[in-house]
Amino acid sequence: MKKIEVRPIVEGKVENQAIVSPISISFLGGVDPETGIIIDSENPLFGESISNKILVFPESKGSTVGSYVIYGLQVNGVAPAAFVTNYAEPIIVAGAILADIVLVDQPEEDLFSNIETGDLISIDTDSKQIVIRKKSD
Amino acid sequence: MFLTKYQERMLNGEMGEAISKCMELIVKIGELNDADNLIPIKSAQIAGVSYYTVGESIFSFLELFSKDQIKVKVPSWLNPAGMDRVKWREMGVSEDFAEKQNKIINLYMNMGIEQTLTCTPYLIGYKPSFGDHLSWSESSAVSIANGFYGARTNREGAPLALASAVIGLTANYGLHKDEYRVPKIMINVKTDVKHFSDYSALGYWYGLRYKGYIPYFKGLGNSTVDQVKMLAAAMAASGSVAHFHIENQTPESKNIDLSSIDETVIFAKEDKKSIYSIYDQTKDEVDLVVLGCPHMSISDLKKIYSLIKNKSLKKDIDFWIFSSRTELEKNQSRSLIEKLEDKGIKIFTDTCMVVSPAVRERYKNIVTNSAKAAFYLTRKGDNRVNLQSLEKISQEVFK
Repeated sequence: MKKIEVRPIVEGKVENQAIVSPISISFLGGVDPETGIIIDSENPLFGESISNKILVFPESKGSTVGSYVIYGLQVNGVAPAAFVTNYAEPIIVAGAILADIVLVDQPEEDLFSNIETGDLISIDTDSKQIVIRKKSD
Repeated sequence: MFLTKYQERMLNGEMGEAISKCMELIVKIGELNDADNLIPIKSAQIAGVSYYTVGESIFSFLELFSKDQIKVKVPSWLNPAGMDRVKWREMGVSEDFAEKQNKIINLYMNMGIEQTLTCTPYLIGYKPSFGDHLSWSESSAVSIANGFYGARTNREGAPLALASAVIGLTANYGLHKDEYRVPKIMINVKTDVKHFSDYSALGYWYGLRYKGYIPYFKGLGNSTVDQVKMLAAAMAASGSVAHFHIENQTPESKNIDLSSIDETVIFAKEDKKSIYSIYDQTKDEVDLVVLGCPHMSISDLKKIYSLIKNKSLKKDIDFWIFSSRTELEKNQSRSLIEKLEDKGIKIFTDTCMVVSPAVRERYKNIVTNSAKAAFYLTRKGDNRVNLQSLEKISQEVFK
């Protein structure tokens, strides 16, 4: 079990499997709002669903209307359970607030050497930390 | 952050879900940026209109407002859509696209937002005043509002500008505050900057080098709003630059304290040339000349006509211009438009080459005088673009 300190932006308590994108995500054009599937062919997660998972990614990029895609994921019932990112810029902040999806950023330790797709992550924003249980444990 | 009792009630949901979401957005982004309070805005300019750029998700979001019949609290206008609302068939836009586009515009109009459908609200009577606080989202208009008019707006994302339109407030941080408006880089212009495309090249060059930093331009001379809009648009596209100063011209450049300048750099002939050579891609094949990024003014159109009035367009080359409907309806411009149309030029309004699928899907080799347009048209890798002055265009595609 590993704990990493984070800054909570949208509060809540969730637990689910991680899906880790090693590269930045443009929600507009990168994620299908109908299905929650990654449609950016440059992303190693191409074809995989982020629905109900805890999405771990370095940063969001691209058009600011990407926030509406995040809201659309929620309306269509295919939103991720939470976002864990290095730095939350306005696209993800606005999207997570509108869709009411837990968002934390500014991890005290490197996310990508500590979390793999399939690991179980618990977030309780009151404690300002995320807890990682390796899938191999 | 300090909130009044009334603001707290809006945030807590007493006035419904849509109001509370908008407040949550404004307050949370304000807190992340260390804002200490909320301030009233004079107007909002709202991006996220083109169906091509927003897709289906916009409908579920705008429903949040339509179900409670929410109206905006301050004058608010729309950025360009994905098509000309009248001549969309001529642009090659499909029925299905047009239907969805009209639905988006109508949802915004039901909120009391004007369908200006332009990136240049300041050309059609919505000039901000010195010191006004605004919530604008189109990046070139943001920069013009701050730099050219001395008003104050951050470069808002589409959702935040809409939220501010609905609440009438924005968080007081960033470019709303004096200390974030000072220039950091002085650019000493030592080469001719006279064509619109030269202004565009200067802006593009600056943005590539000094992403996000506020420039102070020296030696640029007195420039028109049509020249400065090319500069501002290009800096915003290549470097997210949202504010600028021009020596002896822009309102804040008078009595400015230059002690904040960290670096002084010369803009020389080679620097200008370096930008024209980035966008020299068509190998003399031209399918389309496209102008109007940002939207053209009547005076831009007059300038074009003066260059081509005794010439005719070469065959197999299309020529499109984008402007705003309101701009074209004023100044008895009908006869000018007819003269340009007689030369084979198509003039569209409500949209542009950046936010409509029409240009990039129909034409491969494109010539424009806007580095911003060149930047966006080449993003997906399918289009080849040349950046040229109107003078050069008039010589090369007309005979």
